[in-house]
Amino acid sequence: MKVILQPEEKEIILPKIKSVRALLNKLNLYPTQALIIRNGELLTPDEKIYPKDTIIVRQITSRG
Amino acid sequence: MKCTRCKQKAVVALPSHNAGFCPSCYLEYFKRQVEKAIKAQNMFSFEDKILVAISGGKDSLALTLQLKELGYNVSGLHIDLNIPESSAEVRKTVEDFCTLQSIPLYVLEMKKEGLSIPEVKKRLSRPICSACGQIKRYHFNLFAKEKGFTVLATGHNLDDEVARLFANTLRWDIDYLSDQGPVLKEEQGFVKKVKPLYRLTEFETANYAFLKGINYSYKPCPFSKGASFTFYKKLIASLEQEQPGRKLNFYETFLKQGQKPFKLAASRKNSPLNACSRCGYPTSGEICGVCRIKELLAC
Ligand code: SF4
Ligand SMILES: [Zn+2]
Ligand SMILES: [Zn+2]
Repeated sequence: MKVILQPEEKEIILPKIKSVRALLNKLNLYPTQALIIRNGELLTPDEKIYPKDTIIVRQITSRG
Repeated sequence: MKCTRCKQKAVVALPSHNAGFCPSCYLEYFKRQVEKAIKAQNMFSFEDKILVAISGGKDSLALTLQLKELGYNVSGLHIDLNIPESSAEVRKTVEDFCTLQSIPLYVLEMKKEGLSIPEVKKRLSRPICSACGQIKRYHFNLFAKEKGFTVLATGHNLDDEVARLFANTLRWDIDYLSDQGPVLKEEQGFVKKVKPLYRLTEFETANYAFLKGINYSYKPCPFSKGASFTFYKKLIASLEQEQPGRKLNFYETFLKQGQKPFKLAASRKNSPLNACSRCGYPTSGEICGVCRIKELLAC
């Protein structure tokens, strides 16, 4: 599936990831460190994700 | 996952509260946390004239919108730091937001004050962020006083507060520990300062901003390299992951049990402030920090 990392706006392709939780683990993030967005909707860690999805991973960090 | 309140599909999971929420229940939860903070800490009433420090990030915009929707009398103040890589864009975000939400906005340009931040950085030997923070606090305070605002509200969230508390505790810094909390009373020429988002994490304000469709700036300041407390925030995130709810508990227990003794200890050791001989701002020296920076830039 296609994953867009924000704020860098970097695109990566990740195969064989079946849930939001697995995606977060793969990216080394805790569930409360990023918003996971699909088609403009927020996903909780238990949600399933699919190969044809485009997922936005918006990391949460305060600016200075 | 189902919404804890209404059993519809949840979109936000909050391990710290052992809960999940659908969009509308999440917004209700968020609102109640802010109301609870305002009430528990006696922050302000509907009679107060509230000035919100709007940086343009998600926290300050979320705070402004929530206070407005609760019916409070809010205006915004944005400080344009004149940083070429970020200031113009951030300012536009703030202006657009305030126009859209019909919130009165004031903008102070540091260039006009002779305090353009890149200039300050060039001339100053200490870290720019400490000077920049000092300059911002100075102008927020002064502006609030001049324009008759009774309260200054900032978007500091639980993560900001806990990281600061953690750092202060590691050093057992009496002055800083005595001064930390979601409310700083009006005293000695300082306007009352409040942090209505202190019960909410960065994750929670980000979810609120998303669900409210707030267009916020995440353009980083080019000088923010060693941004404040990044390392502590990481440590604390691991702690929270192991012990959900630890952050809020650490902070609230400090408020209940730690804050008072530190205040007492600090009041024994510190002498009262006097007015800066140049500008009248409260300071422990003869000339305040911002006037000293101005002096340095002028020569
Ligand atoms: S990162 Fe530092 S220099 Fe940049 S706006 Fe924040 S305090 Fe100022
Ligand atoms: Zn619900
Ligand atoms: Zn001064």
